[in-house]
Amino acid sequence: MKFGKYLWDKIIHIIVYVTLSVLIVMLLNAFRVNNELITAVIVLLSAAGTVLLFIDFVRKRRFYNNIIHKLEELDKKYLITEVVTPESFYESELFTDILYITDKSMAENIRKYKESIDNFKEYVEMWIHEVKIPLASLMLINHNSNNENKKYTVQLNRIDNFLEQILYYVRSEYAEKDFIIKYTDLNKVIGNVALKNKDLILENNIELKADIKENMVLTDGKWLEFIINQVLNNSIKYKRENGASIKIYSEKSGNITRLNIEDNGIGIDNCDLSRVFEKSFTGKNGRHIGKSTGMGLYIVKKLCDRLGHTVDIQSKKGEYTCLTITFADNEYYNITKM
Amino acid sequence: MSKIMIVEDDKVVSKELATLLELSGYTVEILCDFENSLDKISEYNPDLILLDINIPCLNGDQLLQNLRKVSDIPVIIVTSNSDEINEVLCMSYGADDYVTKPYNPTILKLRISAVLKRVNKNSDILTYGNLSLDICKGTIKTEKSEISLTKNEMLILQHLFNNRGHIVSRDSLMTILWNNAEYINENALTVNVSRIRSKLSELGYEDVIETRKGQGYILV
Repeated sequence: MKFGKYLWDKIIHIIVYVTLSVLIVMLLNAFRVNNELITAVIVLLSAAGTVLLFIDFVRKRRFYNNIIHKLEELDKKYLITEVVTPESFYESELFTDILYITDKSMAENIRKYKESIDNFKEYVEMWIHEVKIPLASLMLINHNSNNENKKYTVQLNRIDNFLEQILYYVRSEYAEKDFIIKYTDLNKVIGNVALKNKDLILENNIELKADIKENMVLTDGKWLEFIINQVLNNSIKYKRENGASIKIYSEKSGNITRLNIEDNGIGIDNCDLSRVFEKSFTGKNGRHIGKSTGMGLYIVKKLCDRLGHTVDIQSKKGEYTCLTITFADNEYYNITKM
Repeated sequence: MSKIMIVEDDKVVSKELATLLELSGYTVEILCDFENSLDKISEYNPDLILLDINIPCLNGDQLLQNLRKVSDIPVIIVTSNSDEINEVLCMSYGADDYVTKPYNPTILKLRISAVLKRVNKNSDILTYGNLSLDICKGTIKTEKSEISLTKNEMLILQHLFNNRGHIVSRDSLMTILWNNAEYINENALTVNVSRIRSKLSELGYEDVIETRKGQGYILV
């Protein structure tokens, strides 16, 4: 709280007080009161005025500075009502009451909003699980029919991929925390993803190589499976015509494990590269090949952020694309040792 | 042959699942009475249970917990819930494996036979005539001679030995290979099979693996 601004606020009080003081002095003068008394009155009046002003300023400053200071310290500013106590003056009581009421109303508003999001999320998750049942039936029916039709399998897998995409979108945007971090075998995760995409990879004549020596990382296995699946599907979608290959390999330096998924596909334009993790960004490749929603890598980035992994992409147009996920080995996360 | 019980409320899935497993030579029973599920299970006394989580009356995981108080029957959870948390929970309740829907049918069969094998502690040696396949050593041998096999050849032969007299599709062989992190293509499979053939004929077993065009291979 600044004294100058405070004074400016009190300008009417000061003008009235000073005018009054001047009038009193003039009145005393008019009645020919002796000069010593007039001097005494002037001194007393200005002393009283200054003291009153000063006391008021100190009280207010204490109250407001306290709030400002606590606001600065608070990470969540809306919790201010929990730490503010009114001073002995009326204005501070009013002020804290107002703060409290607005805060409460906002909290209620947010609660309603959150509730509707939670309901929506719950419904979407339930719906996805429901849809997966007929999908499972179709896969079984197709497999059980005398001659399994691979074309059906590939399309059913595509539907499954899209379902997973919305499931993880909902999870990455709205979930409080429904993942679990534990030591996970990269080989197992990559094996699951590879198997899931086996028909697609074979159909596209892509050579898949996996070389995972540093295999134990702290992550959520299912989330990582989704992440790698998205990246692998991009590599398949944007493959080169002949001699396409995808290499998955890991490397370790210190506490950090890096998982690289590298393809020799059509690559990404330099000007698009920095934007591939943006929501709904499709870029030149997306527009050219079509069928791109621009959501895959956005969700990948979101999930990685939430899991505490970093994700980078490097590419050269017409040569390669390499996506790297970096896992930190953090004791804090390791529930198996707790 | 092993008896499998399916605990699943979707009729189409359970029917197709039963067909799939019956074709692989299992005896299958579908649980219909969910109210007395525990009694029905002990009545039928299966060798393995395929258990869905979202079933009427008692939830799958509750049923599993109750079952574990009285029985050690192997249980594979088959669910559309793909949460890691859920999987960890079910495993801690005593499930033997956790498979998410929609699943690859070949993989499901592999997971089932893996669990059954673990429980029955089958020997790691498969035989055919006087050939024996030693899975631990990675060799195939007669009394007189022994030839070592590569990992791929072992996986293929193992599947053929296990399905003697039945046609084994190329796709199921590919699935098994990919499931073991051998990401080979169709040509490599053909090469592997012809190598196995020449190894077998070295041991005096000529033409035991026949090709059925458009269907796969059969160990006669």
